[in-house]
Order: sequence, then C-alpha cells, then structure tokens
Amino acid sequence: MLQLTREIKRNHELIWALALKDLQIRYKRSALGFLWSLLNPLLMMVILTIVFSTLMRFSVKDYAVFLLSALLPWTFFSQGLSYAVESIVANAELLKKVAVCRSVFPMAAVLSNLINFLLSLIPLALVLLVLRFPFHLAWVYVPVPLLGLILFTMGCGFFCAAANVFFRDVSHIVQIVLSAWFYFSPVIYSLDLIPKRFRFLFEMNPLAYILNGFRLAIYYGELPSLASAILSVAGGILAMVAGYYVFRRNEDWFVYYI
Amino acid sequence: MASCRVRFENVTQRFRVIQERPDTLREAFTKMFRHGSRVFDFDALRGISFTIGDGETIGIVGRNGSGKSTILKIIAGVYHSTSGRVEVWGRVAPLIELGAGFHGDLTGRENIVLNGLLLGLSRREITAREDRITSFADLGDFIDSPVKQYSSGMYMRLGFAVATEVDPDILLIDEILSVGDAEFQRRCVTRIEDFRQRGKTIVVVSHSVGTIQELCPRTIFLEGGRIAADGPTDEVLAKYSKALEGPREAPRLIQEGARSGR
Repeated sequence: MLQLTREIKRNHELIWALALKDLQIRYKRSALGFLWSLLNPLLMMVILTIVFSTLMRFSVKDYAVFLLSALLPWTFFSQGLSYAVESIVANAELLKKVAVCRSVFPMAAVLSNLINFLLSLIPLALVLLVLRFPFHLAWVYVPVPLLGLILFTMGCGFFCAAANVFFRDVSHIVQIVLSAWFYFSPVIYSLDLIPKRFRFLFEMNPLAYILNGFRLAIYYGELPSLASAILSVAGGILAMVAGYYVFRRNEDWFVYYI
Repeated sequence: MASCRVRFENVTQRFRVIQERPDTLREAFTKMFRHGSRVFDFDALRGISFTIGDGETIGIVGRNGSGKSTILKIIAGVYHSTSGRVEVWGRVAPLIELGAGFHGDLTGRENIVLNGLLLGLSRREITAREDRITSFADLGDFIDSPVKQYSSGMYMRLGFAVATEVDPDILLIDEILSVGDAEFQRRCVTRIEDFRQRGKTIVVVSHSVGTIQELCPRTIFLEGGRIAADGPTDEVLAKYSKALEGPREAPRLIQEGARSGR
C-alpha cells in the first residue's frame, strides 16, 4: 500500500492526463460532447422509471430519486471496472516500449469514470430540484460510501486488469458478472422486497452496503447502522489490498503477455 | 570513462514462444478453441556481460533477431532479465520506437504533454520545453491537428523531438535515423553529436554501418544472443561484415517451456 501511495504521488500528473485524455476521446467528434455525461444517467433514469414505476407499478414515492441514488454509483462501478479491465491490454504497445509505471492505467480508467460520476450528480441535483425533494442533513454522509465505492472499484479494477493480461476471457466474464451483479444488488428495487431467506445473498455483497449507504442518505435521509457503514468501507479496503497485491505480484510479467 | 552507466553481468533473457503449427487436421481444428497449443522457450540473450561507461557512445550491430533491441529494452526497464544482473544509473530516454504512446485523436501539442509525462517529465518541465520541442519538430500548423492526420515522417519528427528533450543521461537509439527527410536526419545527427559533447551516454542500434562508424568509437557485435565481438568500431565492423558473408544460423527454439515461473 505504501508503494501505491508513492506511485500515485510520483505519477499524479500522468494519471490526470490519462484520465482526461480518456474523457476527451470518449466524446470527441460527438455533437453534444461532455453533455453526454449528464444526458446518459437522465435517459437511463427515464427508461427505468417508465418500466418500473409506471409499467410494473413499484409503489415507491419519487422513484426517480430512489433509483438514481443507487444507479449512479452502480454505473460508476460497472463502467470503471469495464474500463480498468482493458486498461493494461489496451496500452500494450506503450508498455512494450516505455518503462512506465503500470498501475497508472487502471487508476486513470477509474479516475475518468469518477469524474463522469461526479458530473452525473448534476442531473441528480436537477431531479431533486424539479421534484422539490426535501433537503436532508444525512447527505453529508455520502462521502463515506463514496470512499468505499472508489476503493472497491479500484481493487476489482487492479485484479481484473492483471488477470485479463493472462486470460483475455476475463473481460468477457466481467461483463457477464456485472450484468448478474446488477440484478443481485439493490439498485432498481429496495432490499425490503427480498424475502428473508435470500437476504444472506445481499449480506455477502460488499456493493450492497455501499449502494445502500448512498440510498439511505440521499433518498431516505437516514444514516445506516454503524456496522453497515464500517462494512461498506472495509469491503473497499479489502478489495483494494487484495487487488493491488495481485497486480503488483504479476506486473513484471505483463510485458511478455500483451 | 570513470564511472559506469550500464552494467550487464551474465544476462539472459528468455521468452515464451508459442508454436501454432498444427500436425493433424484434428489439431488444426482444436487449435481454434485452444490457445497456446505448444509453448517453447527462446533465449534472446544468452549470458551477456558488458559495461558502458559514462559519456560513452556505443554501437550495437548484429543480424535480425540477434538480441539488439532486447538489450535496449532491458536498459530502458521494459524487460526484466530472466537471469543475471543489470544495473543502470541515470535517466534513460528510449528512442526505441518513436511516438509510442501518441494518441491519434489528440493534437500534436496535446501529445507532447502526454508523451512527456509518460517519459517521466513533470508538467512544469514540459511547459518549459514545449517551444523547443515544437520548433525542432517543425510541423507548422499541423502541431494543432490530430496526429492521426500526420504523415509517418511527421509522426517520427514529433516523437524524436519529445524524446530528446527529456534530457536523459542515457539515450537509446534504435534504428531511427532512417526516418525523416535528409534535412531532418541531419538535424538528428547534429542533436546526437550535441548530446555526446555534453557528456551523455548513447547506445545506438543500427544496420547502417555508416551511422555506426560516424557516431560510435566502440561497437558490440551480437550473434545469436551472444557477444561475438566488442571493441573499437573498425575492428568489430570488419568481423561483422565478414560474418554477414557466411551462412546465417536460423533461430531455434529450445525445450518445451515447462520451467521458470511463467
């Protein structure tokens, strides 16, 4: 971990530049450019709200807020991980020629999606305003699950980026796992809808604590139990330690396999 | 040659090589689903030892696949030798393949910043060098166009301009002086001369005997991953050209790769 902070300190300018490059390229030659970061979650919300609130009649008040409060962090996780898993392989040509610190690539992938996530909070704020949603003091709690989320995404990103170098199947597997994970996490529904005997599935899911933290604070205006708060950050730290360990153990081999 | 910049001690570099020559129709069929059917080892360098002193300009010659570029990549820190000891003192600028890390959608100017950061400069150092880089690359208005619209020569010019502005202690040059037009080549040579006069260490890999003769007092001749000759350029080049007349030993793979970690 000490090594990681040293790498970040030495390369923070490079990580920033790579992340901004990522965003810049993502929206290059598109008429709306950065606006897509704002439009995407809005359109996603409209679709899901129509499906679940109108067609399937989930009886949740202000479903849009309910949904966005967990959907936005989820999107950050799934996009961040999808970008990170490819980050080493995608920079193969560079890594074969220049001795550059390898951990910067997954970190930049997650950072660019973090910026995107922070931008997507703007449409959330708009929705709150339009619905005249009451202000909650609990909103100040949001940085806690956010920290857990960043660490968790980064940890999974390190692990998958390394694994993908040796087995390209990993990037395909990640996509499948992500879509299953989406439905097994409290994003479009709340945990109360889950029968008691299946609850254990969610208790094992570190993301559930994180997403729940976001939703409790933003939508319900409540704080989670201390245990749940600790678990949401602990899950992130654990993923980070394990993911980075695997990455470091293998990074010297990357160049021969990409 | 008081202090030493690069020291190789009995360095071996082993690569995994996958052979995909199907022996049977069934193998050809299953190969589509199964990767890396047979793995062999290939030693690109076999127990090489040499030192490069501070301020030395050294040439490396040899046929294709003799290990020249592998040596440069080990010095640059891209490869970690399989066995043996490698020591490198000082900042290395790899002119191994120019423009590695350029992104086609970014403009020349944006790529200068990104490439500079990748080569280990800070943003402040890059800003300070930007004017010199753009004027050396001499791309005119194209500097603000996406590099995917550059000609290959323009691409190389920008790459050379960035890499040599890193102000390295050790400059690695791999067969790049053949790019660009005559005028740009001349400026590259001038710049390398300039490096030399400032007491920098330079390693040149080239197939051009003329380039080596012009730049390097000392030369290493590699053959099949071993040092065949190391000494004054004239003597080594004489051996090299003699060897070129002889038959070439085709690269051979060794044993089924079961050993060594991964």
